[in-house]
Amino acid sequence: MKLKQLLLAACVVFISSGGAFSADKFAVIMGNNPSANQFWAKVEQGALEKGKELGIEVTALGSPGGEGDVAGQIALVEDQLTKGITGLAIAPADPAALVPTIEKALKQGVKVVYIDRPGELGGITYVGTDNEPAAALGGKYICDHVEKGSEVAILQGILAIVNGRARAKGSHDALAACGMNIVAEQTAEWDNAKGQAVTENILTAHPNLKALFASNDNMGMGAIEALKGAKMLDKVIVVGFDGNPEAAESILKGEMAISIAQRPFNMGAIGVESLAKLIKGETLPPVVDTGAEVVDKSNAEKYK
Amino acid sequence: MADKSHSTAAAPPHEFQRSLRSRLLEDYGILLVVVAMGAVLAVMQPEYFLSAQNLTNIVRQVGMNALLALGLYIVIVTAGIDLSVGSVMALSIMLLALSDKAGAPWPLVLLIGPAVGTFIGIINGLGLTLLKLPHPFIMTLGTLNAVRGICNLVTDGRPVSGISAEVRYLGIGDIPLPFGGEFAVIPVSAILLLVCYGGVAWFMKKVALGRHIFAVGGNPQAARVSGINVNGVLVFVYAASGFFAGLAALLMAGRTGSGYPNLGIGAELDAIAAVIIGGASFFGGRGTVLGVFAGVLVMGLLRNGLNLMNISAFWQQTLIGIIIIFAVWIDVLRRSSGVRT
Repeated sequence: MKLKQLLLAACVVFISSGGAFSADKFAVIMGNNPSANQFWAKVEQGALEKGKELGIEVTALGSPGGEGDVAGQIALVEDQLTKGITGLAIAPADPAALVPTIEKALKQGVKVVYIDRPGELGGITYVGTDNEPAAALGGKYICDHVEKGSEVAILQGILAIVNGRARAKGSHDALAACGMNIVAEQTAEWDNAKGQAVTENILTAHPNLKALFASNDNMGMGAIEALKGAKMLDKVIVVGFDGNPEAAESILKGEMAISIAQRPFNMGAIGVESLAKLIKGETLPPVVDTGAEVVDKSNAEKYK
Repeated sequence: MADKSHSTAAAPPHEFQRSLRSRLLEDYGILLVVVAMGAVLAVMQPEYFLSAQNLTNIVRQVGMNALLALGLYIVIVTAGIDLSVGSVMALSIMLLALSDKAGAPWPLVLLIGPAVGTFIGIINGLGLTLLKLPHPFIMTLGTLNAVRGICNLVTDGRPVSGISAEVRYLGIGDIPLPFGGEFAVIPVSAILLLVCYGGVAWFMKKVALGRHIFAVGGNPQAARVSGINVNGVLVFVYAASGFFAGLAALLMAGRTGSGYPNLGIGAELDAIAAVIIGGASFFGGRGTVLGVFAGVLVMGLLRNGLNLMNISAFWQQTLIGIIIIFAVWIDVLRRSSGVRT
């Protein structure tokens, strides 16, 4: 009997405290499903934990069709607007195609931030990796580990995407600044197999290559396969980007040198925190950097 | 058709009633499923499901699949298949977005989507009939890939944004109702769907070519012998499917305000699923427009409901798969019992 009363009391306290904190409801609309991709699982975790900390109800959802499912993502946002959300953190599936939907949210008085990648609609804060300085970290590692004037190459992502451009520029500027001889800058479209093929061609033309910066780990893994095939893996430093589990394993095996890890947990957590600030009437800078970390042998274990 | 009406006229009254009832079930059974789903969602999400905002959202969300499914329905009635609709939609949206950006007058831009779709549909139909490819699966699998490739070549894989307001009206326009507040509107896309579905229902029943489509699906040899231009009918149905894919592109151009080359990847499978759930036979000759719409709504309501309940997207896929199997299984049961009596 006593236990029952206690439980009841606990429930009442729990419910009333939940209500007392905030009437806000935030939706975090991700680029893919957390169960499909570790990266988004971390974003979700960060968002939910920060929501709990601030006493805000947070829902994190990914498009049904996965990465690039624009129609599905629009439907997700619309359905969340129906549910009366007050804040929306979104990783737009397409920078342009989500504009009308985000405008609709703003018109309903919902506060909006971009996470992971900015969209085309201006005036909205982007919470994510500031890709240019992050890529420069990779360039700097190469500068510190090969002789000045060495032949180096950059595998670029898709340049139509803002992140692709920023990583290409950040790595290029860092390598050029320390006097490297950049002999090739080509896109492999974020793709493993294309990364391998492009690297094979670069090696044919530039057998004295000393280092290679890949704008994501997928392409970096492809480059490592190409180097293995050419028996040049011991002569060329490969730097990746993302801190994927397979890149971490490769680093532990001594194949990839380092990878630049984004902080997806921070994207979720700071995304939610930024929305709460906007609702309080605070203003945010155009970009909130969630930081980047160099993954090397010393810390690769935790990225596996 | 004439045989059937003759036999029902001769049958005793209770026999007639039963066939009417089974016909009602055949045509409208899936509608009962839609109503039941709506009721369940209304009970589980009382605050949101029946709100004006949510109901107009559902109409907007099903628009693309509704148009693709309508085109596929016409093809499936001939026992065919059109796998290319998703890619056709992507090429259509990119070409209409690019021409809008290039300053073409909007009435012309409105025509580009359906025109591109119809053109590729005709190519599908000609490939099937002139090249005598063994199955439409092959021709349209070819165009599924080729058209997507052309779409990426044309655009270099980049989205085109900033489509003009006139072009977007069909996809995003709302006609406000005089009552019920901010969200009480009729989306223009709903009117487009109504016109298209009504038009196709009328066409398939009342126009000779529509009845020929059923005849070709029921038995192509018999149709040929009775003087129907089977090849002509086939080219027409693929052109129609392409036309509706182009129209769906126009809808999405309005909804998103941009053209993006990833539009419609995998959309053909959703459209086929809706047609099958709606009771059309994969072997041709059978299926109703109303059933197709019900199939579209079943999928749309499922997605909307699971979204509202924050249930993982993977459940949506799983449930849609199970519903496809069950819908067809129930159909099989009904049919076999129908044969026995």
